[in-house]
Amino acid sequence: MDAALERTGFDRSRLIFWSVAALTTLLVIGPIAPIAMQAFLNKPLYDASAALTAANFGRLVTEAGIGEIALNTVIFAVLSTIFAQVFGALAAVVIGRTNLPGRGWLGEVLVWPLFVSHLVIAFGWLTMYGPSGYVTLAVRSWTGVTPWDLYSLSGMGVVAGLSQAPLAYLMCLGAVSKADAQLEAAARSVGAGPFRALWSVTVPMMRPALIYSTVLNFVVAIEMLSIPLLFGAPNKIETITSFLYDKGINAAVQPDYGIVGAAALILLAIVAFLVWLQGRLMVGSNRFVTVRGKASRPALLDLGRWRWIVFAAVFAYVFFTIVLVFAGTLMRASVSFLTPLVPFWTLLTTKNFDLILQTPNYMRSIGNSVLISLIGGVIGTVLVAIITLVSRRSEFKGARPLEYIALFPRSLPGIIAGLGFFYAVIWVPGLDAIRGTIWILILAFMVRYIPVGFGTIAPALAQIGDELDRGARISGADWWTTVTRIIAPLLKPALFSTFALLFIHFFKEYVTAVFLFQPGSEIIGTTMLQLWAQGDNGPVSALATIQVVITAIFVLVARRVLGAKIYG
Amino acid sequence: MADLVLDRLTIAYGDVNAVDDISLTVPSGEFLTLLGPSGCGKSTTLFAISGLNEATSGTIRIGDKVFFDGAKGIAVPPEARNIGLVFQSYALWPHKTVAQNLSFPLELRKVGRAERDSRIKEALDLVEMGKYAERYPFELSGGQQQRVALARALVYRPRLLLLDEPLSNLDAKLRERARIWLRELQERLNVTTIYVTHDQSEALAVSDRIAVMSMGKIQQLGTPTDIYERPANAFVADFIGSANFIEAELVGRSAGQAQLRLGDGTQLVASSCPEAVSGKLVLAIRPERIELTDAPGANVLGARITHSSYLGSVHEHEMAGQGFRLRVQTSRAVSSPEVLVRIPPEAIMIFQNGPEAL
Repeated sequence: MDAALERTGFDRSRLIFWSVAALTTLLVIGPIAPIAMQAFLNKPLYDASAALTAANFGRLVTEAGIGEIALNTVIFAVLSTIFAQVFGALAAVVIGRTNLPGRGWLGEVLVWPLFVSHLVIAFGWLTMYGPSGYVTLAVRSWTGVTPWDLYSLSGMGVVAGLSQAPLAYLMCLGAVSKADAQLEAAARSVGAGPFRALWSVTVPMMRPALIYSTVLNFVVAIEMLSIPLLFGAPNKIETITSFLYDKGINAAVQPDYGIVGAAALILLAIVAFLVWLQGRLMVGSNRFVTVRGKASRPALLDLGRWRWIVFAAVFAYVFFTIVLVFAGTLMRASVSFLTPLVPFWTLLTTKNFDLILQTPNYMRSIGNSVLISLIGGVIGTVLVAIITLVSRRSEFKGARPLEYIALFPRSLPGIIAGLGFFYAVIWVPGLDAIRGTIWILILAFMVRYIPVGFGTIAPALAQIGDELDRGARISGADWWTTVTRIIAPLLKPALFSTFALLFIHFFKEYVTAVFLFQPGSEIIGTTMLQLWAQGDNGPVSALATIQVVITAIFVLVARRVLGAKIYG
Repeated sequence: MADLVLDRLTIAYGDVNAVDDISLTVPSGEFLTLLGPSGCGKSTTLFAISGLNEATSGTIRIGDKVFFDGAKGIAVPPEARNIGLVFQSYALWPHKTVAQNLSFPLELRKVGRAERDSRIKEALDLVEMGKYAERYPFELSGGQQQRVALARALVYRPRLLLLDEPLSNLDAKLRERARIWLRELQERLNVTTIYVTHDQSEALAVSDRIAVMSMGKIQQLGTPTDIYERPANAFVADFIGSANFIEAELVGRSAGQAQLRLGDGTQLVASSCPEAVSGKLVLAIRPERIELTDAPGANVLGARITHSSYLGSVHEHEMAGQGFRLRVQTSRAVSSPEVLVRIPPEAIMIFQNGPEAL
């Protein structure tokens, strides 16, 4: 009977370990190496006569307006981070821990912005609150003054901040609602009132979540393209991403590869430093971890007579910054011309949707987006699951380095990933085959979101006691059999959630695609950008609406059918 | 079946040797217990035998089949060792029924369906769980899960059975019944068994031999009687049962007896004394061997009771004398705090060093 267990020579587990490690390394280095190369070459990467030089950096720092671009980027990132953190943390405490009326559905609506791309949200804001936006014009016609100007750094900061607030909200919510109830009970027992107990015990425990999401939102702001592009361009406010976009793609005659490479490398270094800093700041955050043993939910605070006042504030926030933004997109898509001066139902039309539905290019971009998200979601889930299992649950000697490499794309801004893969396909022989196809997009998106998948699977895996795999090993199963027969079935719910999350991320991604798509491989986001450049806001909104509707259907189906957990 | 041999086995984590140069031979069919406090290296040794931990140096083999050889770089993966292991948490796969849990190792061994079914039934009947084949683990009580875990470890007839504190999650009454049942089963199957526990009464009750471990080393290897009555050093005396320790000095030997002097000058006689000891010593005396007496005499000391506890079957007293403290067990309550205690010469165990020196 032992004989069946005697395996000599070929060890498939080891083969899997090494293949996965090699593939992951290749995928992650893929976009970075060409950028690093390009930054030090005096001619385009594909030009055989290109020579090494450090002059690109010199030219970059002496480039006219570069100081202002750097300053704009920092101000924009700081502003949006502050708005995101303040609103996110406040919402988390109020919704997570008080008897606010309607906290259930308010909390649901609060995370809507996370499901769609910044592009959709930016268009929504533009439609409602832009200089000729619906709400802006309405306020001006009532009061006679223009109430705000979103085409400014502070305007951009507000929009970006509010669209990132849900991220801070979710992370802080996790911290405040999972806090051990006994800790607050202990504070009550030594004489603290309920608000004091919340303020002195639970709020400080949000600190790791706050630090983590602060750096995360700062990074998101630095690498954000949509808002700087849409809101900055009219007043020539440039940030590092819109500069890269402009230089890399819009420079009509010949893109300046050297400067783009240098700027991209610097951006990559800054973001990598921030992600490293985040890790450093999180060291020792274990002392805030209190969830162990029997978990009891902390009691809700009674707001008393403040209840409806707080409700009004939260409702106004949700209504004006989320509901109206989505509603604006739908309204703009359904009318020929959106203005508060004429009742919008008199201008109703289907021509915006007709244009999208009847133009093969536009329809293809919708089809491509769905296809990329489905295929990429499935392949990505499998790949990330194997990476996570090898790095967390195998005897592979390189497990730790593999995890480090797999998580590196956190430091890889989308625009850099796109640019990097763009260079890679023209540089590496043979890759030309996938140039301009949806496969290069799938590849690039997958690399970007390996950490997202890892972050979903790893905690679920930690819940599965490792004695279950050990039991399988001692029973005679090798690593791969253990993974497929024991761990994968137990991990199924987490795998479904990972697929759903990857689908949503792939479906809303556009920054990574701007350098990579070609006619035939366009996606919703790139088509929206093209339509916007032509000034066609009606069709843009129609496309945005279609994206929102498909996302909503997918989220409903994923939650019902797959039981996927997406954002709480 | 062949003997299990560990030879100069060392398992290091960084600079720390969790298991330090252990050599051990377990004859076929023996029930051997690794006993020691947590962190002594007993589970680490067990998992190294299973292959789930990799050892650093030394060899592990059964007969001439080598599982691990640090010098030759041999490390057979756990799945190829054909060993049965019962985990402390049982590790039953929650998505498989009891029968499927038992079926999995048989499928891996390419056992045909009919043979598989009869083996599963046989193994479940062995642990009296035949009725529960179609249940899922979460539908079973802790004791039932423990039996299924054992059946799963036995169903493929492993050459060696390893048990990692399998009873520690059961309540006290069930634990006592389970250990008797476990031992009977092991004798019936005659499977070589390594049992890890930190519970000394469990170890004494089930084992053929016990290896008492501390700090990664085997302090003593012997039968339960050896370990309890003739501990090799003060650590073993302290860990198995309990012992009073009194510092003393050896003043002379005669006719196999030893004359001892306590700190305050009191003389004691011990009926046996190891050859190797001399000078300052440590005496170990088990609380249940000390007697209360009315009259002064040889080996009688005066003491004062500082605290008494009623433990149900016995009374236990903390006492203080001139330069020593004692714990003494009596069957009846003691009325006066001032007492005379007699330490029988044959109850005195003599060691050069106290338990803390190890």
